[in-house]
Amino acid sequence: MNVAKMLPWAAGTAALLGAGAALLPPSTMRGFDLDGFDRLPVLEGGRVKPLDSIARNSLLLIRSQQSFRHEGRAVKADEWLLDALFRPEVSEGQPAFFINDPEVLGLIGLAQTADRYFSLRTIWPHIEEIERQAQAAQRVDSKLRTRFQGAVANLYERILLYHRLRNTIQIAGGASLADEIKARSDPAAQERQRPLASLAYFRPLPLGKSGDWRSVGEALRAPGEIDPGLEPLSRVAASWKAQDAAGFNRAVADLRAIVALPEAAAQADHEELFNRAQPFYAGMVIYLLALLALFVSWLWKPALFRETAFALLAAGAIVHTAGLISRVVLQGRPPVTNLYSSAVFVGWGAVIIGVILERMYRRGFGTAVAAASGFASLIIAHHLARDGDTMEMMRAVLDSNFWLATHVVTITIGYSGTYLAGALGIGYALRRHFGSGLDPETGKTLTSMAYGVICFSLFFSFVGTVLGGIWADQSWGRFWGWDPKENGALLIVLWNAIILHARWGGYAREKGVMAMAVFGNVITSLSWFGVNMLGVGLHSYGFMNGAFWALSGVIAAHLVFGALCLLPAKFWSGGPVPADAAR
Amino acid sequence: MPRRTRTLAWDALTSLKLTIACLAVLMVLVVACTLAQVRLGLLGAVNAYIRSAFVWWDLPGTSLSIPVFPGGLLVGAVLVVNLVAAQVRRMEMSWKKIGLWIVHAGLVLLFVGEFVTGAVQVEMRLAIEEGQTLAYVESPRELDLAITDATDPTRDDVYGVPESLLLRARTIDVPGTPISLRVKAFHQNAELRNRGPSDPPSLATAGIGSGVAVFEQPPVRNDDQVDTRALFVEAIASGVSYGTWLVSNALGGPQSFVHEGRTYKLALRPRREYLPYSLTLKKFSHDIYPGTDIPKNFSSLVHLSHPARGEERDVLISMNQPLRYEGKAFYQASFGKNDTLSILQVVENPGWVLPYVSCVLVALGLVLHFALSLARSLRRRQAVPAEA
Repeated sequence: MNVAKMLPWAAGTAALLGAGAALLPPSTMRGFDLDGFDRLPVLEGGRVKPLDSIARNSLLLIRSQQSFRHEGRAVKADEWLLDALFRPEVSEGQPAFFINDPEVLGLIGLAQTADRYFSLRTIWPHIEEIERQAQAAQRVDSKLRTRFQGAVANLYERILLYHRLRNTIQIAGGASLADEIKARSDPAAQERQRPLASLAYFRPLPLGKSGDWRSVGEALRAPGEIDPGLEPLSRVAASWKAQDAAGFNRAVADLRAIVALPEAAAQADHEELFNRAQPFYAGMVIYLLALLALFVSWLWKPALFRETAFALLAAGAIVHTAGLISRVVLQGRPPVTNLYSSAVFVGWGAVIIGVILERMYRRGFGTAVAAASGFASLIIAHHLARDGDTMEMMRAVLDSNFWLATHVVTITIGYSGTYLAGALGIGYALRRHFGSGLDPETGKTLTSMAYGVICFSLFFSFVGTVLGGIWADQSWGRFWGWDPKENGALLIVLWNAIILHARWGGYAREKGVMAMAVFGNVITSLSWFGVNMLGVGLHSYGFMNGAFWALSGVIAAHLVFGALCLLPAKFWSGGPVPADAAR
Repeated sequence: MPRRTRTLAWDALTSLKLTIACLAVLMVLVVACTLAQVRLGLLGAVNAYIRSAFVWWDLPGTSLSIPVFPGGLLVGAVLVVNLVAAQVRRMEMSWKKIGLWIVHAGLVLLFVGEFVTGAVQVEMRLAIEEGQTLAYVESPRELDLAITDATDPTRDDVYGVPESLLLRARTIDVPGTPISLRVKAFHQNAELRNRGPSDPPSLATAGIGSGVAVFEQPPVRNDDQVDTRALFVEAIASGVSYGTWLVSNALGGPQSFVHEGRTYKLALRPRREYLPYSLTLKKFSHDIYPGTDIPKNFSSLVHLSHPARGEERDVLISMNQPLRYEGKAFYQASFGKNDTLSILQVVENPGWVLPYVSCVLVALGLVLHFALSLARSLRRRQAVPAEA
């Protein structure tokens, strides 16, 4: 069969298979059924989730990674959690804490070196000083803290999280859970078990079918019959401490039979699968491959590699979509609920529009901008995910699936469109100044693509913005409050309207429209992330210090691209084009 | 030449460049308004940049202000005029342009709606405790000096003098009473403290004010806070002075004096608007997600009683579920006192429906216009190979 026909299909299928491989059941670790442990449902943050999510999110918060190497082998999040829960003496020696701030390192008597990961054993002698400094810093408003204050308060919070984790099932360094169960009726034990209830980070024991969950401390201290989950849980603890794989597997299975109520178990299994598959990470890799294939197409065998790039883009879009649907089902919410999910969704929207554009024009541009936008937004999402659980519960004012589905989704699609138009503008600038240059026909095609996308995003950003106003009118009686986030959305609408009117009036032609489309990215980025840095208003969900510099860089780069669009013909690669294509 | 001038003016008024310039100026204003919120608070920034015809700049060192930039009100007005004029002049009545007609009609409505809101929307609040029955709403900012004739224990006759009126007039006769009030001193925002031995003497000669030291403070910027007003008024009845009193919204209960056998109470309190119906808070609920302190829902179960209409019913007001009744909308806004106090935002805005209509119009118009354009461009693209 013809290779030219085969390659695109082969590449797309391989990408899908690669992404799907993560769905296969994992092998055991030295005979331990860690997967069974990972899938145990618990209650934390107001919702049922698998222990796997607890392990990954906690390690992500504490170490900014989901696994690490220690003593010559990889330690995954679940194994780290098991050690933290049941083998404190091992866990204390693991370099789980990420500390980068030189002043905080100085506080615990360390110089800044290449090694930025430290164990609790290293930190513990200085805990009182850290606590003192952190409590002083916490009295300062989080937006006004110095770098040191922010870092030390953050370290203290992470130590506290770890401290709560290791005191969830049994008191770290204290009696085993089995002993605590035996001593249940002893009043002294009751007193001793109090911290187990107050510190517990998650609740592992369901209370019948009521939907309530209890911490180990609460279950131990409750009068009456003993909670049936405690006994197998104590065996999980003992067998992990003894590193007895057979006993561990039996105990996990017994515990599962008791705690895995049908609905909770299905939820936990699904989420564990989602965590393992990491569809957005896989999608990011596939988008990158699509971009690479497209670069190849510009140098060698254009038609073949353009098709291959498109096949990869389509595969990426399928994985991305599957991940998105999976999140929607897990959360029981529309796709956009926080900053993280808005990044995932903006990328998805841009990819879908790009796929449609590519099918309409078949010039490779749709693939290029879609893959680039998809990749960029998933990278952003990846970094935003460091704040821990990305499926946290919605605060009361946001708790409305109807408005999340209409206002938030529409406005996010508006962002997608604006970014995609901007990406087309950047593509235009690059082609104009690098490589073989741009023929008038292609320039015209790119402009008409950008024009169409801008119309599309004007529609969605306008409707989304007004729907936001209507939501505000419904929930606090103010259609328009000039809140920073609303203003940001309004700026996008105004800018898109300016572009369209300037084009209709003939004030902006090819170069002008493209430069304006690129500047649209600046406005969208400011409205999306800049508002959160301002720290005022109802919508400011999180002040992001480090992101400030990233955003400044993005804006500077876009200003350069915009200027490149506007440069007159004599600067173009390949020289001026005779046709009156650009003004 | 007048004719030429007229043509020029008409050209300028209908020009697309004016539209773009207005949109650009609007963007600048919106950015400025957003950034200024850090400094001025939301309300201050909106008043300075959006709800004013000009942006004023205080000349340093003088009390002069000069307009330096058009404000939102002016730009909005120009934009509406430009929109209507251009529509009349340029856009032919054709089915091809129907979408644009609808879009621009919707936009005009949106501007009108925002204008109406700015002009007539009244925001009040209702702070109500569980078991309490109230038949009035309060202003979040404006204050009244209330004089209550409390002689009859079964009924109170209340005379509310708006603070703004009192300050303008300096001396005012309270209608329906023999009392007149004279303002001696006024502080927009102040800190009240128990007067210590080293503090200067108080202006107040009667009531608890003589034991209170008043320190002037800059007005608050934060929209969530209110000024602590301090007002010294002399109460005079039938030519007899009953002393100078300190009244403040930060002082607890009212202060009283007796004149010719009648007891009068003085208090500075939020301006009230009395309702022809009453609300009773039966229960306030504050649900959280289990094991967290993330709020899941706030709701107030309220009993609505309107004897004149014979209405007696329970209403549940929760987040995103306001009660709309007799032109007012009651929203769950806040809470306090260990979840026994519910604070409702009460909004009266006759123009509230305009944005809804506008949104539908613009969305419909844009869809129509883009669909028609797309259809035309697709027909052209199909026609090209046929000609070639």
